[in-house]
Amino acid sequence: MDGSKTIRELYDSGLSQELRALESKRKEILVRHAVSTFFILAGILLFIVSNGRAIFVAFGLLSIALFIISTVLAGKKTNAYKKDFKSNVVKKVVELIDPGWNYEPGSSIGTLEYAQSGLFPKKWDRFRGDDLIRGTIDKTDFRLSELHTEYRTDSVDGNQHSREQWSTIFKGMFGHAEFNKAISGRTFVLPDVAEKLFGKWGQKLQRNDSRGQLVKLENTAFEKYFVVYSDDQIEARYILTPKMMEAMVDIRNQLKKKIYFSFIGSRVYIAISFSKDLFEPRILKAGVNFADMEQIYLHLNIISVIVREMNLNTRIWTKE
Amino acid sequence: MNTTLIIVIAVILVLSLILVGIYNGLIRRRNEVDNAFGGIDAQLKKRYDLIPNLVSSVKEYARHEREILTKVTELRASAIDPNLSMNEKVSLDNKISEAIRGIMVAVENYPDLKASENFINLQRSLNEVESQISAARRTFNAVVTEYNNGIQIFPNSLLANRMGMEQKEVFVIPEPERENIDIAKLF
Repeated sequence: MDGSKTIRELYDSGLSQELRALESKRKEILVRHAVSTFFILAGILLFIVSNGRAIFVAFGLLSIALFIISTVLAGKKTNAYKKDFKSNVVKKVVELIDPGWNYEPGSSIGTLEYAQSGLFPKKWDRFRGDDLIRGTIDKTDFRLSELHTEYRTDSVDGNQHSREQWSTIFKGMFGHAEFNKAISGRTFVLPDVAEKLFGKWGQKLQRNDSRGQLVKLENTAFEKYFVVYSDDQIEARYILTPKMMEAMVDIRNQLKKKIYFSFIGSRVYIAISFSKDLFEPRILKAGVNFADMEQIYLHLNIISVIVREMNLNTRIWTKE
Repeated sequence: MNTTLIIVIAVILVLSLILVGIYNGLIRRRNEVDNAFGGIDAQLKKRYDLIPNLVSSVKEYARHEREILTKVTELRASAIDPNLSMNEKVSLDNKISEAIRGIMVAVENYPDLKASENFINLQRSLNEVESQISAARRTFNAVVTEYNNGIQIFPNSLLANRMGMEQKEVFVIPEPERENIDIAKLF
């Protein structure tokens, strides 16, 4: 199926109207922000020129108060706008890909699923996510959402003020799907950082990892992008057949992002790093444009690409 | 104690530590090769166990395929001989793979057989074992390459020669096995 054509059809047949309807709300938000900016500037100006005169101070304070009210209203409007965008636009794109899929804008992958993947062993202090999609592609069921996990570091600066800093562990799309072979161990396919930076010496650094033994594979393109750890060398190769490695290289080349895979129990876990938020409307840019819709479509469709490339629907082994 | 003596002792100590390191490394690699071959062997045995089932279920439907069935039964009988060398095992294993593929092609002419639940399950088990064998072979090749590199580089090569460690051959994976099993051809 030529994906871009179909999303084009949806766009022309109704999505663009939907977006146009939302456009007035977006403009209201912009006006709100403009009003807020006016009040804060007015407030500051009044304080500067007041020279202690009560009337100026009073109007200054009033301006600040109006600024706060206006900002809160803008925030509320923004949230409502986002909600409408997701339920009227993103949901339609999900349905276009597969009407059987379920889209829950407010839900995400849970902490348990995230921990079970073993992909990011670092303990998180903040766990946020949204845009959960779940469904089945032929025989393969999956769950996928946006996720952002962070940890906190507290430091004390020169003036004895304690400062907290948040660092990202993972941000992007996180999900899992049923794996079609019966496995008993744990196998991890991670982006190769050490070998890229340090070449052959990097391989020495990689040899040991809490996630198992290093598995060296024969596909050089694959080895360039990924490093594999497993507690079972044979099982790792049972999963990572020559064809599977090619598929993973393909997926990596298509997305051009850092990708993490783990094969544990009956699932394959997948994490794809994105620096920006996906499936969110933009306030400052005109909302009625096809390119944004196409992006959303492609991002939502990633899971289909993965299932297809990795042949997860092939059930010719002993696992049903 | 005189300084020269201390230096001599230190040098001997360092040299022997290096030697022990190399020795242990070589032994580890050799064990890994044996272990990986054991991995293949285990999977091959699983396949030998499936052959009688395959033969009996095909025989029921496909009376004209006696020749190929007898051949695979004979091959199995010789393959389970415990005194086979590694190379003999490999060559028999290749012949068995070929014979099983022959049976699968022959089965195409017997729709009833292809549709029988027993046969479908058997086919799944065979696919499973084939995939496992191929994974075990690739593991073997990876550790053999590591082993060969290990015994050829200097100064490991000096010690490896004394220990009688020789280069080992990697498996040549037969062409049809490099491709994933094509489901359309099977069912």
